[in-house]
Amino acid sequence: MELQLGLSLSTTHNPIDGSDINNKEFDPKEILSLKPWSHDYGCLLDKKRSFEDAFGKLKDASQTLPLLLWSGHPNDEDDDKREKKRLSCRLSKIHEEVLEEDDLVVGWPPIKSWRKKMLRQRQGGDRIVKNRVAAAADGKENNGGSNSMYVKVKMEGVAIARKVDLRLFHSYQTLTSSLICMFDKSLQLEKDNANYTLAYQDKDGDWLLAGDVPWQTFIVSVQRLELLKNGG
Amino acid sequence: MLRMASSFPEEVLEHVFSFIYDDKDRNAISMVCKSWYEIERWCRRRIFVGNCYAVSPPMVIRRFPEVRSVELKGKPHFADFNLVPEGWGGYVYPWIAAMATAYPWLEEIRLKRMVVTDEALELIAKSFKNFKVLVLSSCEGFSTDGLAAIAANCRNLKELDLRESEVDDLSGHWLSHFPDSYTSLVSLNISCLGSEVSFSALERLVGRCPNLRTLRLNRAVPLDRLANILCRAPQLVELGTGTYSAELQPDVFSSLAGAFSGCKELRSLSGFWDAVPGYLPAIYPICPSLTSLNLSYATIRSTDLTKLVSQCQSLQRLWVLDYIEDIGLEALAAFCKDLRELRVFPSEPFAQEPNVSLTEQGLVSVSEGCPKLHSVLYFCRQMTNDALATIARNRPNMTRFRLCIIEPRAPDYITLQPLDDGFGAIVEHCKDLQRLSMAGLLTDRVFEHIGNHAKKLEMLSVAFAGDSDLGLHHVLSGCENLRKLEIRDCPFGDKALLVNAAKLETMRSLWMSSCSVSFGACKLLGQKIPRLNVEVMDERGPPGSRPESCPVEKLYIYRTVAGPRFDMPGFVWTMDEDSALRLS
Repeated sequence: MELQLGLSLSTTHNPIDGSDINNKEFDPKEILSLKPWSHDYGCLLDKKRSFEDAFGKLKDASQTLPLLLWSGHPNDEDDDKREKKRLSCRLSKIHEEVLEEDDLVVGWPPIKSWRKKMLRQRQGGDRIVKNRVAAAADGKENNGGSNSMYVKVKMEGVAIARKVDLRLFHSYQTLTSSLICMFDKSLQLEKDNANYTLAYQDKDGDWLLAGDVPWQTFIVSVQRLELLKNGG
Repeated sequence: MLRMASSFPEEVLEHVFSFIYDDKDRNAISMVCKSWYEIERWCRRRIFVGNCYAVSPPMVIRRFPEVRSVELKGKPHFADFNLVPEGWGGYVYPWIAAMATAYPWLEEIRLKRMVVTDEALELIAKSFKNFKVLVLSSCEGFSTDGLAAIAANCRNLKELDLRESEVDDLSGHWLSHFPDSYTSLVSLNISCLGSEVSFSALERLVGRCPNLRTLRLNRAVPLDRLANILCRAPQLVELGTGTYSAELQPDVFSSLAGAFSGCKELRSLSGFWDAVPGYLPAIYPICPSLTSLNLSYATIRSTDLTKLVSQCQSLQRLWVLDYIEDIGLEALAAFCKDLRELRVFPSEPFAQEPNVSLTEQGLVSVSEGCPKLHSVLYFCRQMTNDALATIARNRPNMTRFRLCIIEPRAPDYITLQPLDDGFGAIVEHCKDLQRLSMAGLLTDRVFEHIGNHAKKLEMLSVAFAGDSDLGLHHVLSGCENLRKLEIRDCPFGDKALLVNAAKLETMRSLWMSSCSVSFGACKLLGQKIPRLNVEVMDERGPPGSRPESCPVEKLYIYRTVAGPRFDMPGFVWTMDEDSALRLS
C-alpha cells in the first residue's frame, strides 16, 4: 500500500523566518536540522538493503554530485588506488558523522566530532534505540507522554532535512499531513502536485514503505523517514 | 631620527632586527621606510597566515624569500562543529608545492584546519633537507602512509604533533619507519590515532632519543606498557598516557608508580582514557609539581577527581569532564591557587536531563578562589545573571570566556530573564577580554553592552541570540579590535552588514549561517568591496536561481589580497564584480 501525498505548493517562503525566532512559544527543539545532504547520501550507501536496492530508480541522478566534486579537487593525482582509498576514507567518515549526529541541531552543542565520538564509544550506541523503545512503551500507557521521539525526515530533492517528534502523532494520516505542511515551505522550485511516497528505515537498516505495519509497531522500529518522488 | 636611521649600515640593522620575533613588531618595522622594508623582508624567518586564502603562496614568497617557519590556518572555526560542508577548501598542497622550490631550507610547518594529503606529506619529506617541526592541528585528508614518508626521510625531525587531526589510520606500522640512526625526536603527539603502533618500535624510539620532552600516546597503548616507556624517558616533561585501565594488579601498579616517581621533570599529563580509580594513586607523587592536567577523556567521578586535584597545588591548567561537579570545583578553588585556565566538557551533551551536579555555582567558586584564572570554557545546563555578574566582579582579569548552556536560548533559570545583564557585567568588568562565546537567552541588549564595553574583544561567537539587525550593528560598530566574528541561527539580516561594510575589511573573517542575509546583499558586498571575498555556501543550488531576497544558507566573508579563489566546490560561490555576469 502506497501513501500518495499530493502536495500543493505555495509561493516562495523564507524558511528561516525571523518571526519564528521571536515567537515566545517557539520550541528550540523544532529548529531545522540543516544537514548537508551529502552526509545523508554517504550514510545511505552503507546501510543494509541499501537505498539504491530499495528505491534505485526513484533517486535523482544529480545526487551523485558530492563524490564527483571531491575527486575534482586540485590535489588529485592520477593514482587510482589513492583516490579510492581517500574516497572510502571519506565515506566511512561521513557514515560515522551521521551515526553521531543524533542531536537535534547540527553542530550543537559545540563539541568537536572526535570528542563526541569518544563519548559515544564509552556509552554504547544502543542507548538511543533503548530510549526510543522505552518512550514508545510509555506511550501505550500514557498518551502523549513528555518523552520525545525525534526522527530525521528528508524529502527527495530538498537539501535541508527536518526532524519530527513522532510522539505528536497517532496515525500515518496525521504524520503525512504534518510532513506536507513542513516541506511545503521548502519546495520553491518543484512543479505543482508532485506525488510523494513515504518510506522509512527500520532498526535493522532496511528501507520499507510506510503504512504496511500498524502504527505502534512502526514508531518502535522507525529510525528515519524519507519522502520519495513518484514517477519521472 | 630619519637621518640616523639611514646612516646605519644594513648589516647593523639586520642584526638588530634579528632580535625581533613578534609579527606585529616586524610589520611595524617594515613600515618605517623603504630601506627598512627591504632589509626586514630579507631577514624575516617566520610567517603566520591566519587565513590561507587571504594571500597567495607566490605573494608570500615574493616578499619574504628566506623563510624558515610557516604557520597557516584554513577552515573557519565553525568547521569544528560540522557547520562547514565537506570539500569547502583549505588545501595545503599548493603551498607546499610553491615552498618546495622557494624555501629549500624550510624547517617548520604548522597547520590548523587544513586539508593535508599524503602527496603533500611526501613532498615535505623529500623537499626540505633540514625539516624539523610538523604540527597538524585539526587537519584531515592524509593517512598513515604520509606519516611513514615523514618518519623515513626527515633526518632532523624534532617535532611531530598530530593533535586532533583526522587521520586515515591504515596501520601503526608507519612508526617503524624512523630509522635506527634517528635520535633527534623532542616531541611526539599521536593521541588522535586509532591503531596500534608496534610497542617495541615505540620503546626503542623513545629509548634512543635523549632529548624527548613531550610524548602523547594514543589509546591503543595499554597501561601495562606505560612503565617501560617511562623508564626509558625519565626526562619527559609532558606525557599523554594511553588507556589508563587494567585489572588491578599490585606488580603492575608498583612498577607504574615507580616509573612515574622517576620522572622528576614531568609537568603535564593527559590521556587517561577509560581511567580506573585504582590506578590514579600511581601519579600522586608527581601531582604537586604538575602544571597542566587534561582529564577530559577520563570517566572518573567527583570523589576521585576531588582527591586528585586537591594534590595539584601547582596546577595552572585543568581540562576535565563535568563529572568533577560543583564539589570538585570547590576543591579546585581551595587548593589550586595558581590556576589560570579551566575547561569543563559535558559528559552527556545530548541527554535531556542533567546527569551530574554541575551548575553555575562551580564556576563561581573557581572564580572566587583562583585569582589568576583568566581563561574559561564551561559547559553547563543552567546559569543566572547573578552568577555571571559575580564571576565578572571576581575576575576582572578574564581574557577568554566561553560559556555553553546545553539548551539553546535558556534563560536565567531563577528569574527567567534573558542573560543580557550577566554577559553585560562580563564585558564591563573584564576590560581585557579578548575572546567571548555566549549562551542562553539573549536579546539585542547584550550586543549593545558588548559594543559599548568590549573594546579589546578580538573574537566573538554567537548562537541563537538577538532580536534584530540592531544587535549585529552594535557589535560591528562598537568593537574596535574585532577580528573574528562567527554567528549561527540569529535573526541578523542585510542592514547591519551593509551599513558596516567597511568594518569587514578590518577583520580577518565573518561567518554567518542560518541567519537572514539575502543573496542580493551578498552580491552587493562582493561587488562594492574588492578586497573582500564574499563566499556564499548553498547546497540547494545556485543562489542566482532563487529570488534576490532569499536568504543564503551560509556566508563566509574574509579580507584578502589574493582575489577570489579558484578551488571552490560546487556549492560555494564568490560574490564579486564578475558574479553578476556568471550567476544571472
